[in-house]
Amino acid sequence: MTDTNDQNTYKVTWKGWLSLIFICVSFSGLLAMDKLANTPWRALDFSVLVGKFGTIAGSKNIFQGAGGIGAREGFLFTLTLIPTVMLALGFIQVCESLGALRAAEKLFRPFLRPFLNVPGVAGLAFVSSFTSSDVGAVMTKELVDNKMMTDDERTIFVSYQYAGSAVVTNTFGTGAPLLPISVLPVGVIIALIFVCKVFGAMLVRCYISYYRKKNPLVEGGDHAGQ
Amino acid sequence: MQANNTNIVEEFVKGAKKGLYIGLEMIAPAMVLAYALITFLKITGLMNYIGDALNPVMGLFGLPGESAVALLAAFFAKAAGCAAAASLFAEGKIDAIQATVLFPACVTMGTLIGHFARIVLVSGANKKFYPLLFAAPIIDAVVVMFLTRIIIALFH
Repeated sequence: MTDTNDQNTYKVTWKGWLSLIFICVSFSGLLAMDKLANTPWRALDFSVLVGKFGTIAGSKNIFQGAGGIGAREGFLFTLTLIPTVMLALGFIQVCESLGALRAAEKLFRPFLRPFLNVPGVAGLAFVSSFTSSDVGAVMTKELVDNKMMTDDERTIFVSYQYAGSAVVTNTFGTGAPLLPISVLPVGVIIALIFVCKVFGAMLVRCYISYYRKKNPLVEGGDHAGQ
Repeated sequence: MQANNTNIVEEFVKGAKKGLYIGLEMIAPAMVLAYALITFLKITGLMNYIGDALNPVMGLFGLPGESAVALLAAFFAKAAGCAAAASLFAEGKIDAIQATVLFPACVTMGTLIGHFARIVLVSGANKKFYPLLFAAPIIDAVVVMFLTRIIIALFH
């Protein structure tokens, strides 16, 4: 995959940085704080832009009504969520196309070795796994096949990707039913999951280093020599 | 990934369309299943049984026993877990804070079987560590529930 190889030479543009900052601020809920209630800054907040449904005339309820149960209620509730998911994925797609992931890669790259003991060259796979389950996994395999990552490093890296996979897309997509209920802004939820993904991978890292002390790598077939 | 030739509007429409399909293909089926399932469990009285049996475990996270249904559903599909949590909220079994605690947990330990193939197998990870890789998201989910409670206590 050329992506993995030319990432060292890729230059992050100002558009990339701006779109990364935009998406972080917009999803964080910071701009929807009470202090900013009457300022135009609110217009950049994701939840403000999602807006709200009008109520049915003469009632306090939106079209979903009140008191529904079972499959019908589940379906109608889904309809209320779709605009949120559409707007979120629209934003994410635009920011990705402007280079937000490349900018994020630049930010995260220096932390990969100290936290996850994974080489910086995995940066693109790391940030790709924010929005896609599959791209990161395929890139990881290629990194190992190209001897740019060891087998044990792969185990740690995969444990990061596997928990809360595609965290940004999935928090909006599959998490959509809880978005209107959550008392925390969606950006905070994503940050919490991210922190725990890293924490879990660090545990795996500790276990593997403990395991290797007891079972040093000797076999050549593992192509995992340090 | 770089798309200098396509414009922002096109990219937005592409993403929004993806969102519409996710809504129709993933969320809607999960919600119909979760809402029907919760209704079934409630009418049959199984929900009370699950609630009583799992109260001590879920109580550790400040959650009622019934909320285990959401985590179990999440194990098979993230969307089903989140939909089940939303349904429990609609039924008044959990409050908004408890639903918020379940939210990151459902995403963290969600779709473990499907994604085992898509991530662990595709990446070619070492077979020796499969059990470890399988356990990690569940440990992460436990940690994230505690962490979310702390954040809510601090900022909400």
